[in-house]
Amino acid sequence: MNALHEQFIAEARELIHQATDDLIAMEREGFALERIDRVFRAFHTLKGSAGVVALPAMGLTLHAAEDLLAAIHAGKLDASSAIVDQALACLDQVARWVDDFEAGGALPPSAGEDARSMAAMLRSLLSESGVTETAKKSAQRSSAPAAEGRLPKWVSRLIESHQGRIVDETRESPAELFAFSYEPDSQCFFNGDDPLNLMRKVPRLLAFHAEAHETWPPVADLDPFACNLRLQGISAGGHAELADIFRLVPDQVRLVEVPLEALRLDQAHGADDDDRVGLIRVVIEEQRQVLRAANQGDDMIGRIGAVSRAAANALRYGGLQDLADAIERANVAALSERNAGHLLSALDQTQALLPRASSAVPPDAAVVSGSADAQVEEAERPASRALRVDEGKIDALVNLAGELIVAKNGISHLARRLQDELEDRELARAVRREHDAIERLAGEMHAAILQLRMVPLAQVFRSFPRLVRDMSQRLGKKVRLVTNGETTEADKAIVDRLFEPLLHLVRNALDHGIENPEQRRTAGKAEGATVTMRASRAGDRFIIEVIDDGRGIDPAIVRRRARERGVIGDDELAALLDDQVIDLIFSAGFSTAAEVSDISGRGVGMDVVRATVERIGGRASVISRIGAGTTVRLDLPMNIAMSRIMVVSAGGQIFGIPMDAVTETVRLAPDRVSRIKNNDGFVLRDRIVPICSLAELMKLPQARPPGLDARLVIVTDISGKVIALEIDAIEDRLEVVLKPLQGLLSNARGYAGTTLLGDGRVLLVLDLKEILP
Amino acid sequence: MSVRREDDGTTIVLDGHCPVEEAEPLLQFLQASPAACLDWRQCTHLHTAVLQVILAARPQLIGPCGDAWVQRWVASNVL
Repeated sequence: MNALHEQFIAEARELIHQATDDLIAMEREGFALERIDRVFRAFHTLKGSAGVVALPAMGLTLHAAEDLLAAIHAGKLDASSAIVDQALACLDQVARWVDDFEAGGALPPSAGEDARSMAAMLRSLLSESGVTETAKKSAQRSSAPAAEGRLPKWVSRLIESHQGRIVDETRESPAELFAFSYEPDSQCFFNGDDPLNLMRKVPRLLAFHAEAHETWPPVADLDPFACNLRLQGISAGGHAELADIFRLVPDQVRLVEVPLEALRLDQAHGADDDDRVGLIRVVIEEQRQVLRAANQGDDMIGRIGAVSRAAANALRYGGLQDLADAIERANVAALSERNAGHLLSALDQTQALLPRASSAVPPDAAVVSGSADAQVEEAERPASRALRVDEGKIDALVNLAGELIVAKNGISHLARRLQDELEDRELARAVRREHDAIERLAGEMHAAILQLRMVPLAQVFRSFPRLVRDMSQRLGKKVRLVTNGETTEADKAIVDRLFEPLLHLVRNALDHGIENPEQRRTAGKAEGATVTMRASRAGDRFIIEVIDDGRGIDPAIVRRRARERGVIGDDELAALLDDQVIDLIFSAGFSTAAEVSDISGRGVGMDVVRATVERIGGRASVISRIGAGTTVRLDLPMNIAMSRIMVVSAGGQIFGIPMDAVTETVRLAPDRVSRIKNNDGFVLRDRIVPICSLAELMKLPQARPPGLDARLVIVTDISGKVIALEIDAIEDRLEVVLKPLQGLLSNARGYAGTTLLGDGRVLLVLDLKEILP
Repeated sequence: MSVRREDDGTTIVLDGHCPVEEAEPLLQFLQASPAACLDWRQCTHLHTAVLQVILAARPQLIGPCGDAWVQRWVASNVL
């Protein structure tokens, strides 16, 4: 896989996403010309890149889709959901091919067949509907790699000005023609590049044109070392060779296949002079039309130049040098007086002077016209300023920064020893000062590196419009998806893991939350439902909410189900408030296979959502009002690399406890503790909180008999369950890089991970959810 | 020196191989004497940068260009 291919894959995926988004938005918000234009450009660029990496099957399919979109754009065809469906299916197919290409460097053997049937489907939409005659004609020519009129203007211009040679050459040895447009980087001279040398290497060059990329400045201001050229040409040398020549500058080159029919070979098949003259006649006639069509506007000068060039070339091709010279003289006169009349009468004269052709020229014959293609010219996207870096390299940096923080904690330990053991306050203070500086720098560096891994939530959000569209169609519900706050950023590791939980939430909302249109009407709601995905930042965490305006969750039903399925004891259930009951939907075993449907099924329940979210340090909660809808809220950390922990001792050992589980620490006088059943407990803000001893939980000897002294507990809140954990002392609070347990310990339950302490000891960090009863 | 100005100042001559460095002196000549002709018959190889100066300044050319590729593809269609 070379760099060109990698770039193609990344870009193709982006384009597919973008086109998908636009197609869906288009269907929802109306077929605005601008939108169609954007979709068309995305398809067009995709097709172009497929050409660059030589994937003709992909090009063929995209081309058919492009024609369809062009017909819509030109108003020849009405946009419909059927067309959007087919265009989306086409994108799906292309996405699969991109995957195949990434995996194996090639398309599967079936690609050609798939491409043809997909193209046929797309074209059938084109011919089915009320398309005008011309559009129909081009639809029937389905094998055409590019229909005329689809060619970018610059290609048409090249063909026009070198028509004779191109026709000759392709008649002698037919070949695939490719037009290229090469805009060398403005700094290329400094890199030792000589773009003209690439041009010299182009095999079977048939046409060439060089022009300024941006209008030439006055000669006095010209920078001789900044390249400001656009070099264009047509070659019959084959795609592979062109791609090879331009392999180092793929970003600066566009390759366009030139379909042979664009050359109007049908009028120039024979080698005899009659045909040649006939062709010249056509070209001259075309030029007259171009001139006549011109207003006396700004483009007049350009038209005069182009027309005279094309006419003179055509005449030279026919060996009519005198006539060509006459045209050029007329050109000079026309330009100097800014009056096309001179040229027009010269063309008329030429037409009269041309040897009589025996074969009549079809009146409607026209050379390639680049009509609707102005937008294609502008299709280049702004160069991306982003740098693509391998994820592994960033992870290595994250690890190093993590190690640096551990080393920094070591210095802090050293400073304490200096003070305690040597009682050298001066030195200890100096070390402490340096430590503070390193701490600040290491912290900043760590933060900066973590920032590299931050990606916008748009990455997960953007799959959803398509999903919601397809699901709502299948369910026969009208659903609008609104996304908010896609620019909120979080660590890639977190964002990547959010897709499944979110998918599940959205599926649930559509399947269970949102009512049928009739039900909604009966309930006095608008038929179209809204699902909102909203992300927002909250300090060093972020919140994602999935909100629907459906029927809401009925606590009574949840109670009944929870009882039936034994999710929770009856007493406990009775004690729960309605708000708390709803939370039971996150319990394991609450949703069962019985309700597995096509949409939200697969046997995964909301418990998996909560588990996944908690595994990345998040929390899931739900709020619902009957009849008004449901909001599931995910509260997530921005990154998982750093965790704040509290170091506590119990039973003579130290443990780490993640701070996000700790709500407060309380020192309990003996009289506050009361025995409830077999457990100790105390009342905290009108709520009874059970006390568990950490030493007991960890099967360690109790350090001291309970009873007389004040007891220290940390109050934890795990999934809404409040438990106080008794410890001997709080040793420290740290920010650490948590490493998952590895090797033999990797299956040990009850631990969230380990971290190295400043003095080299390994600290086990507890997973309270697993160890608390 | 592959770019030089004839003594009378009316003609600039490109001679032999014209590498990228020649773009600047050529431009200076053309700036100093905008009406000068450019004789490129002896030029055997033209660098892009030099050609760019010619395309931008459009001096009167005395040809054909000694660089056959440039003569074939640039002199006849572009200029």
